[in-house]
Amino acid sequence: MGIKVVERHGNSFKEKMYISAIFTGMKTTLKHFAANLSDANRIPTVCYPEEKPTDITVRYRGVHRLTHRKEDDSIACVACFMCATACPAKCIEIVAEERVDGVDEKIPKIFNIDLLECVFCGYCVEACPCDAIRMDSGIYSLIGDCRDDFIYNKAKLLSIKGISKEEYSLAK
Amino acid sequence: MNTFLILLPLVLTLLYSLATVPILVWMERRVAAFIQDRVGPNRCNIGGIRLGGIIQSVADMMKLVFKEEFLPSHIKNRFYYLVAPCIAFISSFLTFMVIPYADNITLGSKIYYMQALPIDLGVLWFLAFAGLGVYGIILGGWASHSKFAILGAMRASAQVISYEVAMGLSLVSMLITYGTIHLNEMVTYQAQSFFIIPAWGVVIQPLATIIFIVTAFAETNRAPFDAAEGESEIVAGYLTEYGAMKFGLFFVAEYIAMAASGALIVTIFFGGYQLPYLNTSDLINNFETILWLIIIFAVVTTILFLRWMKKNSRFASSSNNETKIYTTVIIMFTTSAISLMAYYALDFSNSNEVGVMILQFMVFTIKLFILHFVFIWVRWTLPRFRYDQTQKLGWNILLPLSLANIFITAIVVVVGVNYGN
Repeated sequence: MGIKVVERHGNSFKEKMYISAIFTGMKTTLKHFAANLSDANRIPTVCYPEEKPTDITVRYRGVHRLTHRKEDDSIACVACFMCATACPAKCIEIVAEERVDGVDEKIPKIFNIDLLECVFCGYCVEACPCDAIRMDSGIYSLIGDCRDDFIYNKAKLLSIKGISKEEYSLAK
Repeated sequence: MNTFLILLPLVLTLLYSLATVPILVWMERRVAAFIQDRVGPNRCNIGGIRLGGIIQSVADMMKLVFKEEFLPSHIKNRFYYLVAPCIAFISSFLTFMVIPYADNITLGSKIYYMQALPIDLGVLWFLAFAGLGVYGIILGGWASHSKFAILGAMRASAQVISYEVAMGLSLVSMLITYGTIHLNEMVTYQAQSFFIIPAWGVVIQPLATIIFIVTAFAETNRAPFDAAEGESEIVAGYLTEYGAMKFGLFFVAEYIAMAASGALIVTIFFGGYQLPYLNTSDLINNFETILWLIIIFAVVTTILFLRWMKKNSRFASSSNNETKIYTTVIIMFTTSAISLMAYYALDFSNSNEVGVMILQFMVFTIKLFILHFVFIWVRWTLPRFRYDQTQKLGWNILLPLSLANIFITAIVVVVGVNYGN
């Protein structure tokens, strides 16, 4: 009971001849070769950067963005430090201050993400209670001339648009 | 004309062995890529011209030539270490010398041989130098004074004793069939027809063909018999301690050995430079008709190729329109070639022999490249044989089969000579 007898292959005369197995294998590879030779467009390779990836969905973890409130288009972040606490790379720098316009209690004075430190794990997005930080920008390519170019500040993060239909923060 | 025709086979040997290496490397990469659903080399370019990736292999060769010649300090036998790649290279290069590229050509009263070395020993020369190539590998592995290298060398020597016998014996049965060891006479023999199929070696002796092709793969140290290199097990085997052009010589030697084995297989088993059903005198007498057929063939292939290129130019760079340049060049080349051929076909001149010679070069080249494709195709299909499996295959299977083949061949030939018509 409980013993599964595995059938051993390779002992019959036909299998020991190798020839038929070899020709089966060669038929398979030739099929791939002929199909790709006659139509190079079926090769799934993306020749980046001439060809851009087509499979970037809203679930793709790209560059972060800070969302806006639907009511007054102001920043949705309440500077609760949840994202900075969840961040395993310690790349989020927040300095909080009192929010004076009466919409909420706190607002980040400084919100910097060092994208050279960031590991794009998405924990900050999971941690955020206000749906204020998202990674649905669809930006997969980061370019800069110096290290400072990769530190995205509040203004920069607010200006990034998302590729999902939900433009504003969904937090109530 | 005299000097030219004498030097021509030598020049062709250089072309077939050295000039085809970049093309073979490119073919290897592209065929591998297509078999594995990839694209292959398509970035390297000179002024935007990429030639479908051939520039990449030229760039690789340039890199190997200009790299620093580095000698590991632990190597005591520097002479052997340095001479080993030269042995591998020279012997695989010399293997090519006996291959007939076209039939002997008679101009006036003189006969010119289209072999670089028109000696009677054809096959023996091949066996001698193809066998010697492995000694370069063994010597290099031993002189490298490294465990991986010596393991590779021992695998190479274990392999060489297992296939050489079967290889020689399968050739013996071909020698009995053809009754000669002169390669050009073998090709002439294959111009006959056997009932309605051309009497190529592969038709008369299918078993010897299979045995020889299998052993030729082992001879060139290519997959599935590349245990000596075995990059997944012993780093790079005999190549471990080699760098720069010393590695480059081994690398080129492997491809030349493959080209030479392919050329010999074409010569002995696939009719050499012969077109099926047409021997050399037929070709010379009906050269006009054949030229017109070639012109039609050239037009059709060019149109098909241009359409194929237009359809598949997926990765065109934006800076300049490569496809347009290629189309122009190809159309210009085909037009000039066709007009030249039409000139010869209309104006019946006396240079039919030279025309037939060029045609036979072409036929030989096409057959050779088909065989190269098979070499590459097999490499990217089959996994590597363990070296004890290679020995078992060589001694237990191929040797008895080739011996049996010799007996049967000899009986048939003796009966045919004594009791046939």
